Amino acid sequence: MRILPRRVRAAFICSVAGSLVALPAALTAQDLAIRNATIITIARGDIQNGTILVRGGKITAVGTNVTIPAGVRTIDGTGKFVMPGIIDAHSHAALENGINEGSESVTPEVQVQLRNDDPVIYRALAGGVTAALLLHGSANAIGGQSRIIKMRWGMPAESMYFKGAFRIVKFALGENVTRANSTAPADERRFPMTRMGVEFVYRYWFEKAKEYDKEWADYRAGVKTNSNLIMPRRDLRLEALADMLHGDLKIHTHSYRADEILMLIRAADENGFKIHTFQHVLEGYKVADEIAKHGAMASTFADMWAYKVEAYDAIPYNMALMSARGVVVSVNSDSDERIRRLYQEAGIGVRYGNMSTNEALKMVTLNPAKQLGVDKMVGTLETGKDGDLAVFSAHPFSGEAMVEYTIIDGKVYFERAEANTLRKVAGQGGQR
Amino acid sequence: MTRSSRQHVAALLIAAAFGTALATRAVAQAGAGEDGTYLIKGGTIVNPGGQRMPNTNILVRNNRIVQVGGNATADDAKVIDATGKFIYPGMIDANTGIGLQEIGSVQTMSMRSEMGEFNPHMRALVALNVESEILGVTRANGVTSVVTSPTGGVISGQATLINTAGWNWEDLAIMKTAGMVINLPGSGGRGGRGGGGGGRGGRGGGVVNANLVADFEQFMTESKAYDDRRTAGATQLDLIYEAMRPVFKKEIPAIIQANGETAIRGAVAFGEKWGIRVVIEGGGDAWKVRKFLAEKNIPVILGSIESAPSDSVPYDEIYAQPGLLYDAGVKFAFSTGGGANARHVAFHAALAMAYGLKADGALKALTIWPAEIFGADKEIGSIEKGKLANLFITTGDAFDLRTQVTNVFIKGRLIPDDDRHSRLYLKYKARPLPIKP
Repeated sequence: MRILPRRVRAAFICSVAGSLVALPAALTAQDLAIRNATIITIARGDIQNGTILVRGGKITAVGTNVTIPAGVRTIDGTGKFVMPGIIDAHSHAALENGINEGSESVTPEVQVQLRNDDPVIYRALAGGVTAALLLHGSANAIGGQSRIIKMRWGMPAESMYFKGAFRIVKFALGENVTRANSTAPADERRFPMTRMGVEFVYRYWFEKAKEYDKEWADYRAGVKTNSNLIMPRRDLRLEALADMLHGDLKIHTHSYRADEILMLIRAADENGFKIHTFQHVLEGYKVADEIAKHGAMASTFADMWAYKVEAYDAIPYNMALMSARGVVVSVNSDSDERIRRLYQEAGIGVRYGNMSTNEALKMVTLNPAKQLGVDKMVGTLETGKDGDLAVFSAHPFSGEAMVEYTIIDGKVYFERAEANTLRKVAGQGGQR
Repeated sequence: MTRSSRQHVAALLIAAAFGTALATRAVAQAGAGEDGTYLIKGGTIVNPGGQRMPNTNILVRNNRIVQVGGNATADDAKVIDATGKFIYPGMIDANTGIGLQEIGSVQTMSMRSEMGEFNPHMRALVALNVESEILGVTRANGVTSVVTSPTGGVISGQATLINTAGWNWEDLAIMKTAGMVINLPGSGGRGGRGGGGGGRGGRGGGVVNANLVADFEQFMTESKAYDDRRTAGATQLDLIYEAMRPVFKKEIPAIIQANGETAIRGAVAFGEKWGIRVVIEGGGDAWKVRKFLAEKNIPVILGSIESAPSDSVPYDEIYAQPGLLYDAGVKFAFSTGGGANARHVAFHAALAMAYGLKADGALKALTIWPAEIFGADKEIGSIEKGKLANLFITTGDAFDLRTQVTNVFIKGRLIPDDDRHSRLYLKYKARPLPIKP
């Protein structure tokens, strides 16, 4: 629900943001071509000895018979593999001053803040990542709002925001939100402490949100004929919840066990909201049909298990099993380390459960793009989409693949030959 | 009738209905693999440091490889057709908590650290849980041996080198004591062991606890004096000092946690001072002293490759270091550090290959080098006559994610395709599809 018209709100945000204005697109969108490479389009198979052309930041041609205009920087792709820039649907990198507003169990009014000089952005680029969902933490049943960025390293924070992406809020279930593993004295116990309590949080708050929403709807309808009506008191928390009811704020939820996944699906069904994407969703394979029927997607670890009790039934076949039941699955990092090699994580889906190479690569390209609401712009290599590319030295699932270039909107943000590498450093000053 | 007796009757009925073949299979699936004589036919053997051997048979009997050759055969052998496939020696993860630690966040399932600072008498082997679900998933991806090590304190205790399948810890053991885990106080090397394969240890100075340094010096002096007395014929036992004797006798190495350059040099100096063998573990900055390590013949157990570098170093430092060590002639092994993801140790090596480590170096660092580092190269580390039959069969390159592992042998036993994850996979794969209204 939008209390203020969109334009008014935008003006409000601009006045608050002050001088923080995004750079003109001309500084970030460029021309580029890669010729004679294996092009993994994701949408239409692989093209051998193909050329891809990016003009003004957009892909204008992909194929074997592409003319490169004079003056366009051209990378020789002989022996190399070009795929869509990798998208991480779950990261906490590059966030300023904390990722958890842990004081209360319901805080959808807060939003994470971007720190544009975090070296993790650069190292993610070096692993072929071009976009990421930066999520609030998992301390609250209903947590804060996220940011979605393109990894435009070196640009002002405002220039990193991915325009046109969803607004996303983070929910959380299970051990983290009940603080089951926390023994720190600073972490005071608070409701909820059980999975039963977590379920009640959703029933209680969405009931309140529905009342709030109706109050405003009544006001807006009534004020047309009665200008003396008093405007209801604005509540940013309930406003965010009402936005969820209307689908304007998409819900991504931290989840592990099958029982809690099913619980949230039913809580959503009964209270009139939708779960857009289950995050982690380690036991999603047990309730894949229910997830698919609800229309939710899934973003999971390739293989993380046994680090806590609720992760003991996590299996690397999760990706393959959920995909086979019609769930759109992405594989995410949730880590400043794994974000450097998400291509390898996607390949685990082939090793465990025999996913096809293309389906596995979709898990770090098209599928996370759908989960972030940017699949019209990125996620495949097709004419009209953004020129976001990762260029590998070999097939990304082979044992010897290294990222050589990472490109966003036609602009090269990472180039191995120009990078400060260990071999360059080790070559200076000799061995000791 | 009690629940268990009902189940028992049910099991008997099923066995009767489906015949003994199924019953035998069920027993094998519950166990540590089937003993027997096996002929692995027609595969390509990929050994570290050797040429690929296409269309070569392997005969396995009584736990061991008894023949390797194109024409090896035996009438009583069960035949495994490996035509078109590749056979690798089983991989080794050189530092884990497998068997001591199951679920990291649960204290009762996570017992790697004894109390106190000086624990050379703590033995990892005797506390290993052979039913750990981590063992099952680890071996299924071709990791046939791991080092399980205690953590904490100055002297954490005795690491053990085990197979990832067996009937009890005695059956698991390859080297009951593979090394003595030591965290030199004040070196800045403490703190990196264990965990879930995540962070590497502190590299910087750290707080020097002067008392602990002095206590450790005294402990070493007294245990060395004890060793001298025992060598001279003294018979009075002290179980704690006694545990240090294999270190002084160079029967086992001291596994010393060291990441920074100073800590690594300090660990080597420590070894020279006391006349003991040293293996560096962690080795974050080993590339900076690779010539020194090669000259001193000091091997390195690398900390998890799946770690984030510090902000001040080249982005590819962790991935590219193994290649530099290999080129300099330093012997090293890969490790995951924790255990739950030990099965991915080949993918650690793949990252190193992508960033400059030669393929043969990657294979050596997963097989024969860790075997040599722990003195087990007569038993494991390559496919050779006389060694334990620890090997795995694949559809392609072991480092390629698209490759499938089709069979695993550990100690000559064919490992059943049955672990926590494959069980859950098959169970939920078979869930009936929803009925369409």
